Amino acid sequence: MIALAPSDPSYPSALRDLERPPDPLWIDGLIDVLARPAVAIVGTRRMTGYGERVARELAMACAAAGIVVVSGFAQGIDTAAHRGALDGGGQTVAVLGESITTFRTTVRGRRRPLVPRIVASGALISEFAAPLTPRYWTFAQRNATIAALARAVVVVEAGEGSGALITAEDTRRLGRTLFAVPGPLGSAASIGTNALIANGFARALLAPDQMLRVVGATDAACAPESAPTDPVLAALRDGPLGVDEIAQRCRMGGAELRSKIALLLVRGQLAPLADGRFRRT
Amino acid sequence: MAVDAPVRTSVARVASCALWGLEAAPVIVEVDVANGLPHFNVVGLPDTAISEARERVRAAIRNSGFEFPLRRVVANLAPAERKKEGSGFDLAIALGVLRATDQLTVDVTPLCLGELALDGGVRGVRGVMPRVRGALARGVDEVLCAQENAAEAAAAGARAVGVRTLREAVAHLAGEAVRAPAAIPPPAPPPRAAVDLADISGHETPKRALEIAAAGGHSLLLAGPPGTGKTLLARALPGIMPPLDADEAVVASAIHSVAGLVDPARPLLEARPFRAPHHTASHLALVGGGSPPRPGEVSLAHAGALFLDELPEFARHVLDTLREPLEEGSITLSRAAAAATYPARVTLVAAMNPCPCGHAGDPAAPCTCLPDAIERYHARLSGPLMDRIDLRVHVPRLAYEDLRDEGRETSRAVRERVLAARERMRARLGGTRRRTNAELTVAEVRTHCRIDDAGDALAREAMRSRRLSARGVHRALRVARTIADLAASDRIRGEDLALALLLRGAA
Repeated sequence: MIALAPSDPSYPSALRDLERPPDPLWIDGLIDVLARPAVAIVGTRRMTGYGERVARELAMACAAAGIVVVSGFAQGIDTAAHRGALDGGGQTVAVLGESITTFRTTVRGRRRPLVPRIVASGALISEFAAPLTPRYWTFAQRNATIAALARAVVVVEAGEGSGALITAEDTRRLGRTLFAVPGPLGSAASIGTNALIANGFARALLAPDQMLRVVGATDAACAPESAPTDPVLAALRDGPLGVDEIAQRCRMGGAELRSKIALLLVRGQLAPLADGRFRRT
Repeated sequence: MAVDAPVRTSVARVASCALWGLEAAPVIVEVDVANGLPHFNVVGLPDTAISEARERVRAAIRNSGFEFPLRRVVANLAPAERKKEGSGFDLAIALGVLRATDQLTVDVTPLCLGELALDGGVRGVRGVMPRVRGALARGVDEVLCAQENAAEAAAAGARAVGVRTLREAVAHLAGEAVRAPAAIPPPAPPPRAAVDLADISGHETPKRALEIAAAGGHSLLLAGPPGTGKTLLARALPGIMPPLDADEAVVASAIHSVAGLVDPARPLLEARPFRAPHHTASHLALVGGGSPPRPGEVSLAHAGALFLDELPEFARHVLDTLREPLEEGSITLSRAAAAATYPARVTLVAAMNPCPCGHAGDPAAPCTCLPDAIERYHARLSGPLMDRIDLRVHVPRLAYEDLRDEGRETSRAVRERVLAARERMRARLGGTRRRTNAELTVAEVRTHCRIDDAGDALAREAMRSRRLSARGVHRALRVARTIADLAASDRIRGEDLALALLLRGAA
């Protein structure tokens, strides 16, 4: 882990756009990744299956186009974006709202195994030093760092009062391009993003290449993960379902469907949840 | 004097019975009345309740119009080396005192069980059924007990005479007012289950899983948002399980008797027990314990179903204590004073929400849980207990259009299939004490779970992709065997194994 002062020549110049650039900036991982073109993909912690899929697909598109994915490594959308970038073979930068040491010792659950993967191909960065207790405002403050690092910021899902809306505000102030992913009406996790679009604060993101064009990557290889042709996998695109729900969506049933699901299970394309539902792997 | 010449002594002997778990051991109450300062002592490792019997016996004898001897009275509970508990020896001690002082002129031959009231009344005690069964096994077929226990003793197969007071007991024994043995209570028709499957709309897969659980004794987890019918489904289980057979009824009733949960009028259980302990239950409540060890919920549910609603809310160490009974079908409780083994062969049915707020995957209400919180919630269950749950089904919220009325099967129709499947299992397991596919040994799985080509291909694929351990394959094969039995098929078809893998989550 190293600390960079703003005067250092390898300090990411994009951060100098901030009123108060992080001083010093703590970095764990590769330093040069911070100089590359980046898109921030952020959103609520309380994501839906839809948000998880979109965040993942956008991050994979970035990875395919060689664009770095920046996010805040919170639960939910942020983690889905980091994981998507890693799974797509890309680079990703996690901007933490607490010190790197604190985070590494306290992180649990599904984010923990991602830490070494991020450090190996990208970086964990933070503007906070070790003894600091993470507070609400430290997370709000790092949102500006996320916005500054990226050329475009995509808010995938944000409910009312979501921290991702603070990132959106910072993005506007810094003059970066702001996208919001339109969501279903009535979905609590899309109230904030739909409002950003409706108020004209953000451009509606309809396809990944919109966001890639802003950072100057127009590589055609950046097509999103192709939609699965298997009806069962297609039914599970937006989150886990139980057997009867899959049957309903696929308009299929009986022994044929069950054999199909069992085969996908043993092949590892589906994973069981503890509550009897299945999710795509 | 020759050693074997009859010696006139003042020692009276009365048969009674002690209980450790379900194991009944004969106890002879010996009472000696000798000259000396007035004194009454009970020896032979009595617990507090038995030591206090002295006061009850003295008062009951006096208040029944008899005389308590103003001499040195010693009651010994033989064999003296094992700890005895409870108030059930009162009647035997009192009759022994009366016999030893010749206030009762005939020997007491029946097994005597009962607690005395100070006014000479005889009260019922717990555990009459296993004690009477133990006595019958040793050739004692006559029982003298409290009126309220008489039906229970009769149901266990003994000639049982119920008495209300100590006087009645003495009059009966002396032949002055002989009482007729209690009638064996008539078996009642099995009660209607609280919930009929026909009352539940939709939920085809959960119902199928319920049927498989009822037939094969496999454990089942129902998960879904609140209010979607998980509890209703679980409560429908007793209605599709086969009726208790005679052996099961006696053992299950004996466990209830030890716990003091027998209905005096209907001592023999007629329906399979369905126990639903609250999630605040301690491990002692769940698997039993105490000193002397009492049966817990898992034993009270023996031969029936144990329903754990809100499974992740149970304390983890409490759930972990269920591992042994689920695997062995019995639980041994060892305490410093005594060890007891209680049967605990249950069909486990558990219910849970998919996340702490209950709405993950629920289209009607958004889930407000953070992803890590959901993960922690599921992690409370992971590990050995989940490994023993063979059927996991999601119970989704149904749209109004899905709540159709046509084509719903009644519990009776499902039960017919379950009975037929159990018949096939019995033919297969004939000669063993095991009844269901869930209890098949590994060797039996090899011989009995033959699969067709499609199933073989699926099993091969599962093993090759390393998604399934050998143990997982065996557990899935047991479930597949039950599914094939329900379809009256000798061979496990590919679709049977597919459904088994699906319901098991192939983990």
